Amino acid sequence: MTIVLQQVINGVVLGSLYVLVALGLTLVYGVLVQINFAHADVVTLGAFSAYFFIHGAGGGYVASIAVAFAVGAALGWLMNAAIFAPLRERGNELLPLIATIGVSVMLENAMLAVFGPIPYAFDSPLSNDVIRFAGTFITLQNVLIIVVSVATIALLYAFMKFTFLGKALRAVSQDRETAGLVGINPDQVVMMTFVIASALAGMAGAMLGPVLVLTPFAGTSVIVKAFAIVIIGGFGNVEGTILAGLLVGLIESFTTQYLEPGMIDIVVFALLLLTLALRPTGLIAERREENV
Amino acid sequence: MSSAGATDPRRASFTPSRRVAYLLAAVAIALLPLIFTGSYWRTNLIVCALNVMLAIGLDFVLGYAGQLNLGQSAFYGIGAYASTLLVMRLGVPFWLAFIAAVALAGIAGAALSVFATRLRGHYLAIASLGFAVITYQILVNWISLTQGPLGIYAVPRPPTLGPIDFHDQRNLFYLVAGVAFLSYWLLDQLIRSPIGETLTAIREDEVSAASLGIDCAAWKVFAFGVGSAAAGAAGAFYAGFVGTLVPDAFFITESFTILAMVVVGGMGTLIGPVAGAILLTILPEVLRDIGDLRLVVYGLALTLVVLFMPGGIVQAVRLAAARLRRSAETAP
Repeated sequence: MTIVLQQVINGVVLGSLYVLVALGLTLVYGVLVQINFAHADVVTLGAFSAYFFIHGAGGGYVASIAVAFAVGAALGWLMNAAIFAPLRERGNELLPLIATIGVSVMLENAMLAVFGPIPYAFDSPLSNDVIRFAGTFITLQNVLIIVVSVATIALLYAFMKFTFLGKALRAVSQDRETAGLVGINPDQVVMMTFVIASALAGMAGAMLGPVLVLTPFAGTSVIVKAFAIVIIGGFGNVEGTILAGLLVGLIESFTTQYLEPGMIDIVVFALLLLTLALRPTGLIAERREENV
Repeated sequence: MSSAGATDPRRASFTPSRRVAYLLAAVAIALLPLIFTGSYWRTNLIVCALNVMLAIGLDFVLGYAGQLNLGQSAFYGIGAYASTLLVMRLGVPFWLAFIAAVALAGIAGAALSVFATRLRGHYLAIASLGFAVITYQILVNWISLTQGPLGIYAVPRPPTLGPIDFHDQRNLFYLVAGVAFLSYWLLDQLIRSPIGETLTAIREDEVSAASLGIDCAAWKVFAFGVGSAAAGAAGAFYAGFVGTLVPDAFFITESFTILAMVVVGGMGTLIGPVAGAILLTILPEVLRDIGDLRLVVYGLALTLVVLFMPGGIVQAVRLAAARLRRSAETAP
């Protein structure tokens, strides 16, 4: 029983980080109906910027999360301005996706040239403080991850529901042209969405850093799971993404416990392919048109 | 994919100019290993021929049928492991194993296309990526079959054909390039047949194609099967050529590399991916001096081409030719 509880905790911690990454993909898909492959590298760069903020500049761990957030936001702005905005006018469905694969390959190899292939040891000082609870071990790092993720998701939710910009974002995501007619500038909303999405990914990177093997390719293993999550949850659907993210986190912790770590991706992607075959609109159906 | 590189609908089966082009290509293949005699460049020539097979196979699915398949690395791996295991574990003769590997990769592709018949665009891209991830993980984790990350060593080369010994890099190049040439010719025949127009009709507008009575699902299965079979053939040669087989050679980044070759060359044309494959194989070798940074060229080339020249090298050449012709007309 204790083992099960422990794995539930581990799964939720990991899952909430996946949710942060996957929410960015879902938000961008919502307003743009586009997938950003380079989202993976925002996660990686977030982790590296946090690492160098701590080990190079002597900063604290909590502050490094804020640094990664800012780095992510800047990257989001840059990618939208350089790639998505110019390609939007072409109206081709696949070209932006292919371009972001190009950006991703470019960033990964640039990071490889700068940082090298050897994994960095990213230790969070909070990983050593352990709270014992009903026979389980919870590190302060895990508590921090849960608190930051829940707070971020709640803030994002409130932002989408109650602020004008949040409402504008949802309006653009429902119908871009009509949103334009009522005076919303879709280009600004898309830009804002990119900045938010990438900031979340950068922040998640800082918190994933101690969990992952931190190499230039670290983000790839996260992003393929994030893709699975957004599809299982129903692309463009925030609640579905949260649910699927936690589900994948739990699958990962229980697969590690009861099968073996090498099976994680196989189980997750078998679930993805099963979802696509049986219920392609995802757990919570929202969009029925474009892709299915 | 629409305006990127619409093919010339000329369907005249074998015009003299095309016959000359094929002849020139055959002469080039014959001469290349005589010009590049060092083993380093001959090795690169073989890699070029393998990449050409992978790229034209992907282009058949992406450029003609309009389906973004990110699973090409998996079919490459399936071909490599299937042929190697058949030869080394079961003692099957190489050429039989080769045919089985091509068939198996083709069947796997057709199976994946079951998703393609239900999904489009981004969903298909992710489903095929998921397939590539699962295949890679199976290669890593099914240790009793594949020996996992340790790899399979001493994979034999194709057996001698009469006096032709494939331990000689030159002969191996002739073999691989010959099969690449044959694959190109076969795909070219398919594309110039009504099948090619059927596939481009699906690419341009699936609903209209269906309203004309085209069975889109069946043709997508066909395109995926053919495209993956080409990757399977490349895989079967790769194993014996390199001699060691590790799962990392078939990681999803390999799919991205092949995608870059197709797009940089010009998707929706058959000659484009050939040019792209050769360019993106040779360029990183030429740039060896700049170290790891040379690998950035794949991503950089892919991004820049999509942004500024979505028809790739083929479009650039056509534009240059048109400009030359115009200046030639106005000059006198």
